Amino acid sequence: MENKVNLTLNGRAVSARQGMTILEVARENGIDIPTLCYLEDFSPMGACRLCVVEVEGSRTLVGSCHTPVTEGMVVHTHSPKVLAARKILVELLLASHPDSCLVCDKANICELRRIAADLEVGLPRFHARKHYYPVEDENPHIIRDMSKCILCRRCVIACKSAGNGSMFSVAYRGFESKVVFGCDQLVDEAAVCPDFDGCIALCPSGALRKPVKIGEERAEKALIIKG
Amino acid sequence: MPQQRVVLKNCGVIDPRRIETYLERDGFKALAKVRREMTREQVTDEIKASGLRGRGGAGFPTGIKWEGARQAPGEEKYVICNADEGEVGTFKDRYILERDPFTLIEAMAIAGYAIGAKQGYIYLRAEYHHLFDLLQNAINQAKKSGYLDGFRIEIREGAGAYICGEESALMDSIEGKRGESRYRPPFPTTSGLWGKPTIINNVETLMNIPQIILNGAGWFSQMGTERSKGTKVFSISGDVENPGVYELVLGSPLRELVEDLASAKDIKLIQIGGATGRILPYEKIDTPLAFETVLGAGAVTVYNRSRDVIDIVYRTMEFLAEESCGKCTPCRQGTEVMVEILEKFHRGEGREQDIRNLEALSQVMMLTSLCGLGQAAPNAVMDTLQYFKDAYKKRVVV
Ligand SMILES: Cc1cc2nc3c(=O)[nH]c(=O)nc-3n(C[C@H](O)[C@H](O)[C@H](O)COP(=O)(O)O)c2cc1C
Ligand code: SF4
Ligand code: SF4
Repeated sequence: MENKVNLTLNGRAVSARQGMTILEVARENGIDIPTLCYLEDFSPMGACRLCVVEVEGSRTLVGSCHTPVTEGMVVHTHSPKVLAARKILVELLLASHPDSCLVCDKANICELRRIAADLEVGLPRFHARKHYYPVEDENPHIIRDMSKCILCRRCVIACKSAGNGSMFSVAYRGFESKVVFGCDQLVDEAAVCPDFDGCIALCPSGALRKPVKIGEERAEKALIIKG
Repeated sequence: MPQQRVVLKNCGVIDPRRIETYLERDGFKALAKVRREMTREQVTDEIKASGLRGRGGAGFPTGIKWEGARQAPGEEKYVICNADEGEVGTFKDRYILERDPFTLIEAMAIAGYAIGAKQGYIYLRAEYHHLFDLLQNAINQAKKSGYLDGFRIEIREGAGAYICGEESALMDSIEGKRGESRYRPPFPTTSGLWGKPTIINNVETLMNIPQIILNGAGWFSQMGTERSKGTKVFSISGDVENPGVYELVLGSPLRELVEDLASAKDIKLIQIGGATGRILPYEKIDTPLAFETVLGAGAVTVYNRSRDVIDIVYRTMEFLAEESCGKCTPCRQGTEVMVEILEKFHRGEGREQDIRNLEALSQVMMLTSLCGLGQAAPNAVMDTLQYFKDAYKKRVVV
């Protein structure tokens, strides 16, 4: 038999299999923890920090997508401290995000917007410089607008696993970090990948999208935004 | 307590280019002793009993780290010496490397024996390139004299990123990747360089090892306080008459270092631990220097009454924003937001709500950042909001 781990999740005793992360255990128990960088079939990155939870005895909050459960762990996934932290994290992402939601192609299916609505973020308290990158719309398969990128790196992971060499990677540092194509060139007409749709579907913001011809039917369902 | 030379015992005494001068001062006797009469377990137990804690900033118990790597399963293991010394205001590792490379090499070989590693790396700060030949020469001499049989030491040079002093980013850098922090667990002791069990220690931490082996854990743990054993090497600079490197027994009062040794006058505040360190006002000058209070990697920067608090914090934050690796949200976005808020105060255009925002943001950066950089980035802001709130209030537009 597999080794069982017993822990307390939001006041309830639950058992899990050894090696599972807090996030996996929470989801298995019907608890929804928001994530932006996490991808189920890949090793976690721990970059967005939205999945932080409170673990009793820990000095800091811990990333639930990469922290394995241990015997006797006491976890709070939605304590006031956790919710306040998540809210500020979203505010920080919005601090440098363009104010173009109203006309953004991804608006109704944007994960960032959905999470911001769920956490009742409202008008962000913080402000930071915006990034003004040119919209890369020369390619027939993909449009990139890196000023909307929240650096979750999902596209980089997808790109690495598509086996077409890595077209996308992270360059520069700190607030100047950017997902670049090649050596920070614009995605040109000639760039081809067997699976551009893969990264586009994974992008949680309006940074990556498919060129849609006017009048063409849209595949995505509309989503109701709270607030 | 006066200055005490443990770590700096050979500095200025031996010739760093000639191994014979090191051998005359008990050089490589500790290595011979562990190889001849101690089991691996006895070595890690001795280090554990000494109470030695990491001198690179985090203060993790060295013996526990070594024991973890010794017990970790695996044939291939690594020892890394962190000579990246990127913290603002630290130059003690350079001082040591320039004057006594042999003790470091001996300590790394002991570490290799203790955990069962055949390979060691010295990760040398890019700006210390001029020390490469000196270190390589010392390694070659030790090898020629037969002290490095079964243990290879290679020097790897950094490329000038502060974050690459952080242990997980450092290992990425050695692996040839972009230097970024990784989450933990797994810890390096079980999954470090190339996924193998690895110990990574600061230069100064390692410098203590041969003497602990020769004189015993009891000798070492007599020095210091309850939870801070031994000595600490400090780099002191700023508004002082005698900047430089001083070694004091842990627990010595800050005043002794700053006023008695470095002859600082008219002090306003002291930043201890560099850009990610703590800020203390002059009134706290009798604070003992120890892990229980303030220490970091031992960078002490003194500012006198002519200095502007907001200016100090603003420049500190600019540095951290520049050096953030950019991987996680709170640090990448938070340091930039802080720079922009502090810039407003710098211009005298702060707002009352900015102070509240700084406080809330500090908490979240500390609680949610992936690594020590983002977690400690708000320290200067939090400490000055505690001790020098007036400096902020004066820059608020009404
Ligand atoms: C941003 C950052 C920079 C760091 N830079 C250094 C450094 O330059 N030198 C160093 O020894 N440790 C540095 N550290 C600490 C290392 O991560 C690690 O804790 C240390 O090398 C462990 O060795 P020790 O236990 O002997 O101190 C840094 C940590 C952080 C978070
Ligand atoms: S382009 Fe989209 S998927 Fe890629 S890092 Fe940016 S937000 Fe994430
Ligand atoms: S805290 Fe800063 S330096 Fe550390 S991983 Fe996050 S972005 Fe990188």
